[in-house]
Amino acid sequence: MSRSNWLKTTAMTAALAGAVFASGTAAAENFKVGYAGGFTGYLAPYDQPSLKGVQLAIDEINAAGGIGGTMPIELIVKDTRSDTAQAAVVAQELVDDGVSVMIVSCDVDPAVASGVIAQAAEIPSVSSCASTPTLPAAVGPYMFSNYTADNLQATVLASYAREQGLENAYVLLSRDTPYTEKLPEYFAEVFAAMGGNVVAVGEFTIGQQDFSAEVTNIKGLDPQPDVIMTAAYEPDFPAFLKQLRAAGITAQVLGSDGIDSPTTFGLGDVAEGVVFSNAGFPSEGSPLAAYEAAYEAKYGEPNDTVFTATGYDAMLVIAAAVEAAGSTDGAAIRDAWDNLENVQVATGTMTYKGQNRVPVRVVALNQVSGGERVHVGDFTPDPSQIPAP
Amino acid sequence: MSNEAALLSVEGLVVRYGAIEAVRGADLSVRQGEIVTLLGANGAGKSSILNAIMGLVPVAGGRVVLEGNDVGGEPPEKIVRRGMTLTPEGRRVFANLTVAENLSIGAATRRDRAEVEATRSDMLELFPILAERRDQLAGTLSGGEQQMLAIARSMMSQPKIVLLDEPSLGLAPQIVDTIFELIVRLRDRGATILLVEQNVELALEIADRGYVLASGAIALEGSARELSASGDVERAYMGAH
Amino acid sequence: MDVVVQQTVNALALGGTYALLALGLAMVFSVLGLINFAHGELMTVTGYAMYFVLTAGLPFEIAVLVGIVAAIATAMLMERVAFRPVRNAGTATMLLTSFAVSTILHMLFQNLISARPKALPVPDWMIGALNIAGFDIGVIQLMSISATALLLFALTVFLRRSTLGIAMRAASLDFPVTRLMGINANMVISTAFAISGLLAGVAGVLWLAQRGSVDPLMGFLPVLKAFIAVVLGGLGSLSGAVLGGFTLAFIEVALRAFLPDDWLPFRESIALALVILLLLVRPEGLLGRKEAIR
Repeated sequence: MSRSNWLKTTAMTAALAGAVFASGTAAAENFKVGYAGGFTGYLAPYDQPSLKGVQLAIDEINAAGGIGGTMPIELIVKDTRSDTAQAAVVAQELVDDGVSVMIVSCDVDPAVASGVIAQAAEIPSVSSCASTPTLPAAVGPYMFSNYTADNLQATVLASYAREQGLENAYVLLSRDTPYTEKLPEYFAEVFAAMGGNVVAVGEFTIGQQDFSAEVTNIKGLDPQPDVIMTAAYEPDFPAFLKQLRAAGITAQVLGSDGIDSPTTFGLGDVAEGVVFSNAGFPSEGSPLAAYEAAYEAKYGEPNDTVFTATGYDAMLVIAAAVEAAGSTDGAAIRDAWDNLENVQVATGTMTYKGQNRVPVRVVALNQVSGGERVHVGDFTPDPSQIPAP
Repeated sequence: MSNEAALLSVEGLVVRYGAIEAVRGADLSVRQGEIVTLLGANGAGKSSILNAIMGLVPVAGGRVVLEGNDVGGEPPEKIVRRGMTLTPEGRRVFANLTVAENLSIGAATRRDRAEVEATRSDMLELFPILAERRDQLAGTLSGGEQQMLAIARSMMSQPKIVLLDEPSLGLAPQIVDTIFELIVRLRDRGATILLVEQNVELALEIADRGYVLASGAIALEGSARELSASGDVERAYMGAH
Repeated sequence: MDVVVQQTVNALALGGTYALLALGLAMVFSVLGLINFAHGELMTVTGYAMYFVLTAGLPFEIAVLVGIVAAIATAMLMERVAFRPVRNAGTATMLLTSFAVSTILHMLFQNLISARPKALPVPDWMIGALNIAGFDIGVIQLMSISATALLLFALTVFLRRSTLGIAMRAASLDFPVTRLMGINANMVISTAFAISGLLAGVAGVLWLAQRGSVDPLMGFLPVLKAFIAVVLGGLGSLSGAVLGGFTLAFIEVALRAFLPDDWLPFRESIALALVILLLLVRPEGLLGRKEAIR
């Protein structure tokens, strides 16, 4: 590679790594929000969409004059390059920049790394889409969750399976991430507690192309499972599903929000009938449908993942907390946040009061039908059925 | 001797490896149809000269003139196409290729199939053992056979001049005799040869002229007969140490 | 017994993909001494090329063709732009260059196309399975096994019969002497990259057909597997790379199929431990340098 190419590439890298997007005018009364996200690297598929949602929310809030109509939001974005050590460094930089609230990565490890820095500075922080319910407790009282927690999704999926009269479950998990491990485990726990039989638990490695060994094992099970549940997402979920159906196994397949992606709907016949949970369904006239329209108007392309909507939600929650606190003081915001109830967001409503900083929000079930998304229903599980994290 | 008559002439050649100057201004020339030998103790710079002539190591100074063209600094593949080739020290046949494949690749620069086949049968006639072993892997040949293969492989490109680097290295005495007889026969068929050799006596026996290299420079030159008669060669060797 | 046969078919299909990738890596390594860690990105390029062709409404077969051609072109471009200028700078420099190429491509994919996976719908006929003598063989599995067999056969003919092929084998044994045969170094290296691109393109199509989507980072894991296969088979040995690919697949499938449930969390560690064990017994790999390219 020639020298000039190197220079160009280096310059581009630097520009991406240090990008600062400022919204609104930089005045003294601006409310500064920092975003320490993995906008390059393995978290980019989650943190990039979240950022788009956050920016859309800020545009709307600032167009109305800012938080409470008077305080515009200024967003400072720093790339962690999906590196956990860098997540801590970047968080410290944001603290030094004087942010009042911090949004952190979608994955637990960098979220904790950034979160503890914010915690030490007594700045509230929130992970836009980490779904591990133990995250806020792991960091401390200034850390909040935003996304639908794993145990919540698992409970809704298990209840659905039992209501459909499904008796024998096969669960496929991967210990590579808490999400792919815990969500199926919560499912198995609830499914068994509701009288179902978990026939076997299989394991896979993320990125494993070939599921023939697992599928052959499933074919040999007695009794044959009538429901197969996994939190695998692409590329593993499509590969698994194709090989499963190719082997003639017709059991109901249940997935989680990780498979809410155009890929799933492009799979053709094999995906027919798959049911998965996510954070909301854009029924006509719903806030989510309005959000999708606003998204398309801003970005010129349809929204293709719920992570933009949950990023949007997180920013609305932050604004609600600041408004309720009537102050930009970290402790005041934290206390107000912890008492929020029924905040109207794109995917529905969110309640933090009495939930140990893990919000209660609706879980939607969707079914793949003819390559389209069909709404099965919205569920808010009975707290007594939700397994402890 | 004028340079115009020379097929190959090397003028003031300098070769450096980092800070070390291995060859410091060597001059030599080879005329059509000659066997010229380049003698010298270990480390005198003989192989460095051959490698620099062939473009395997950079020429740090001086000129390498082949048929009136300065080829110094050209890559080896281009020099081969100009009609000069090297049979490297240690034979370096392609061990996991068959004898036949080794010969085929020697002719990689030539397009005319019929002519290549003519050269091939020529070589197999000259080296009958290679005909016997043509489907064997080159790595399974004896040292002498490998040396014959290496020479035959070089000849497959129909070079105007061949550089032979230490063809006697590691071979039993009677095998060495055979190899040297074959070198003479190649010359008799019109080949021009620059021979680097440790075995001074044998080299001077078959060569027309010789150069003695000491500490990276030509210490002595003359006809083979003069050099073997004078005893200066041994002194030049000693002087190198 | 039936399960054993079924799992053997499974391992053959997986091994085919590993073998194609490993062979591409080994091809470049044998002439350049470089493990090209940007090799996996060639599969990603195949994926995006297919995605764009399909988005333009053209048939799947065209997408496959364009995808493979794109991988070949990218491989040759990589060589010309990134590796040729540093060819004489040593293997460590080249290795770092390959990491740089890989990272730059990741960034370009993420920022110019999308960080999110792009769906790559596969025709329904590719998803089914054939039942042959009581065993299920997926269409993609069958394609994987036959594409591997076909490519290995074609490559063998090329390497044994053509002058360029013999030159490539010679170059893998002794590069400087190959140049002394008048063979153009750039030509040999460029061809090695083109072949590695072809192999990565075909492996990419098979891999993508399974996963149904293309994303910026998808090349990393396959190249890692291929690297293990190459080391296992013996660095620099082409037939070793193929054998290494199949061996790795057999180890992986056997462990996943027959390990007791309690042991499943350790299957990756056990697989790697077995690979290391094999290397302790045969430090030069299954087919070390001496046995290369019979």
